Amino acid sequence: MTKTVVPIGPFHPLLEEAESFTLKVDGETVVDVDLDIGWLHRGHEYLSEGRTFTQAIYLVERICGICSTSHPLACVHAIEDVDHIEIPERAAYIRTLIGELERIHSHLLWLGLAGHFIGYDTVWMWAWKWREPVLQIFEQISGNRNHYGMMRVGGVARDINTDDIPGLQKALNEMESKLGMIAKAVPDDPVLKSRLKGVGILSKEAAVDFCAVGPTARASGVPIDVRKDEPKDAYGWVDFQAIVLPNGDVYDKLVLRVLETLESIKIVRQCLEKLKAPSGPILNNVKEIGIGEGIGRYEAPRGEVFHYIRTDGTNRAIRHKVRAPSYVNIPTFAASCKGIPVADALITLASVDPCYCCTERAIRIMTPDNNRLDLDLLRLSREKTERLRRNIHG
Amino acid sequence: MVNKDDLLRVLGPKIRRKVEKPGRLYFEVADEDLTEVAVYLFQTMGCRLSTATAMETYHGLEVLYHFSHDATGWYYCPRVVIPDKVHPRVTSIAPVIRGAEWIEREMAEFWGITFEGHPRPERLLSKDHPQRLDKPYRFRRVS
Repeated sequence: MTKTVVPIGPFHPLLEEAESFTLKVDGETVVDVDLDIGWLHRGHEYLSEGRTFTQAIYLVERICGICSTSHPLACVHAIEDVDHIEIPERAAYIRTLIGELERIHSHLLWLGLAGHFIGYDTVWMWAWKWREPVLQIFEQISGNRNHYGMMRVGGVARDINTDDIPGLQKALNEMESKLGMIAKAVPDDPVLKSRLKGVGILSKEAAVDFCAVGPTARASGVPIDVRKDEPKDAYGWVDFQAIVLPNGDVYDKLVLRVLETLESIKIVRQCLEKLKAPSGPILNNVKEIGIGEGIGRYEAPRGEVFHYIRTDGTNRAIRHKVRAPSYVNIPTFAASCKGIPVADALITLASVDPCYCCTERAIRIMTPDNNRLDLDLLRLSREKTERLRRNIHG
Repeated sequence: MVNKDDLLRVLGPKIRRKVEKPGRLYFEVADEDLTEVAVYLFQTMGCRLSTATAMETYHGLEVLYHFSHDATGWYYCPRVVIPDKVHPRVTSIAPVIRGAEWIEREMAEFWGITFEGHPRPERLLSKDHPQRLDKPYRFRRVS
């Protein structure tokens, strides 16, 4: 039988970023998939090698708009690994807190998108509605919804005000009840179950062979989680569970992300309790980085982010390697898409959560006579942050 | 469980210069031993290939593979040094580890290294680029 080729991308409504998939279809069934990347290559590794370590941390924060603290965190881990630099206890809890809040908002973002891709917009609206409070917590802590600029070699850049913590805990409690509702409703939803169960199965053997990471691997029964395997920052001191599910289909990936969100709330709550203690040091003064090489990794919402740094004793890296989790998760399409109907291919492609940029935030203010009022966005942003801070103080 | 001591005992004769740090082991291997070392790490020890890094050093080009041993949190990094900077060649491990396919294609594209035995030796990032260069994208001091 003649095989039909269905091209998806590089510019396609499903893909908010440019990637190209070529599906070879026999009737309704996908028999092969070819991937073509490189449409967004920005040369971050080379750019980073010309910059100082502090500048490199800012640069790698711009690699991804959603997991914008995972890259800087892995990068500072790599730089600290060169000289075994220790960080203060308070900084460790702040790093963990920021990382886990990011996991909550990233998983909710994916949940919303997954609902949207299968035409179930109620899931999308609910998930994104309850993602918003997380972003507001970020704005209270760091002054920004994404790109928090918190990571530094030897600690963190900003402290969390102890007076803010009761307000943050209150916001967390409200969020938890809603996320608990989503966690109960989503796995039991008959529509999601019938649409996603048994779709796009990635076997455990394929996940190991493709070296998949994060929820993509854990939903296929591969028990890997950097937070447990190499607990850095405060991960060794907090109580949480690494969720592993056996089936490898899109439904398991969905349930796993929802359950991970609840675990993240558990971690955030423990961190906030510890941060209630009177403020201590948050940054060790690191004067120089010696000659050597270091590996840093962090469990981003999509899986292990890997950074490798080689230094020559100056204040810049002579080699900086960055590997994002999607780089190893996207090739698994070749295993999970084969033999499924073409209509299921889209949600299977989306199930590994390939990175979408969500940072762009436009504010357009209209006057009562419907004219656009040009205001300084930076001033508006600062005013909103101040307003949020005032609110949590009651 | 197979651990670092077993690795050093079994692969000892093949391991040249090694650097050990807490949770990290970097060691140099010859190109002809690379496949055997990779198979031992991946299949016997159950490591996961995280990625690989190519770089230029005074001694030549260097390919450094990063294997993560998730059961213990260790990283085992075998490196191959290629003295020939004009026509650098190294054995591909993609036939035994499928996860190495993309990163080896990327290193070939950026550093001009030929990975011998790679199942699909074509460009990864600039396959359809309208103005692609027929030379390595990263600057190399070929002398």
